Amino acid sequence: MPIVMPVVLVPLGERWLVEARGEFKGEFEKPAGSGSFHGPVEKELDYAELDFIANSRVTVTVGRFLTPFGIYNERLYPVWIRSLQPVPTIFPIGTGSGNGVMLRGGVPASSKANVNYAVYFSTNSTINKLESDRLAGGRVGVFFPRQRIEIGASFQQLLQEGRYRSAGFHFAWQPVAAPLNLRSEFAWSGEQGRGYWIEGAYRLSQISKWQKVMRHTEAVARMQQFFAGGITAGTAADYGLPTVNAEELDLGGNYYFRDGFKATASYGREFSSFGNFNRWTIGTAYRFAFPLGRL
Amino acid sequence: MTSRHLLCGLLALTLFSTVAAGKAGRHNDAAPVPVQHSMTDDDVRVEGEKRFQANCGRCHQSPHKFPPRMMLTIERHMRVRALTTDEDMRLIVRYLNQ
Repeated sequence: MPIVMPVVLVPLGERWLVEARGEFKGEFEKPAGSGSFHGPVEKELDYAELDFIANSRVTVTVGRFLTPFGIYNERLYPVWIRSLQPVPTIFPIGTGSGNGVMLRGGVPASSKANVNYAVYFSTNSTINKLESDRLAGGRVGVFFPRQRIEIGASFQQLLQEGRYRSAGFHFAWQPVAAPLNLRSEFAWSGEQGRGYWIEGAYRLSQISKWQKVMRHTEAVARMQQFFAGGITAGTAADYGLPTVNAEELDLGGNYYFRDGFKATASYGREFSSFGNFNRWTIGTAYRFAFPLGRL
Repeated sequence: MTSRHLLCGLLALTLFSTVAAGKAGRHNDAAPVPVQHSMTDDDVRVEGEKRFQANCGRCHQSPHKFPPRMMLTIERHMRVRALTTDEDMRLIVRYLNQ
């Protein structure tokens, strides 16, 4: 299953930035009796936005943007960043893309803490590849740079159909004393259900044996639970959510050849009343950057 | 597992992070210092690396070297995406361009 995610960044002047990201996901299979692989290619426009850095505290964004709900959608989603390739079960809650306007920024609250925030409004769109819901919401986070801890909360109000609310909390900690990256999210939706995930990624650089290999190797574990909401099986499938309560444990590893180039593998076991399933993942992720020209 | 387990888990996580924050806060070597224009190259390297690890290191591996022009574009992208503060970003860019 190849995934290609092109990102385009065009700085304009001192304060403007045009940025866009597409996603092409192919699911190829070799039918019985056929010698070659065939399958559909899913195409998405994740974001296409114009950013204006108004001052050190506020950036204004207009266009199509990633909905800032929790940390996974905006920060961890790219395949070269995420520690485990399967996305968390609760990922569809509150995330996706919106079309509208957003204010965001990061502000030092004191010498010990930085506050980051995002507030947004998205309009309803049914245009092919530019779909979005009419909604409003916000996210606020407090980052403690000494401790490398971030705690935050998200809120979202749907302004159409059932007018459901969603809320979430996120936590991230990268201790100074150990090469550990601990992240967690909880999300609740009045329509879709609720759940959480906790993930730890540990770089094996503290192991003294085979240092050349160990310092590039990362072990990852994630556990998660999902409690299904009151939606029909069809609606749940549209959202990409399980229709019943589910639990999952994932174990994996990454080998970083360098920043942006890694080999990855994982094993996951899902438990639900539909049955228990194994999920194996193996792949590589490569991110490269090159200048398109001079403006 | 029930919602009670979930609540207990979240409470434990909050407690754990609060204790960890208190302990880690005693390490003065990790404390950020204000940006000063008179900072030497060594100061920039030390402080910039510290801020790179605290901000960028949450998602990215060791610093990747790009030409300065590309670095400024990436800096603007990351400032919007990761909501890094103005001061942190200036030090990180100076460090990465060294």
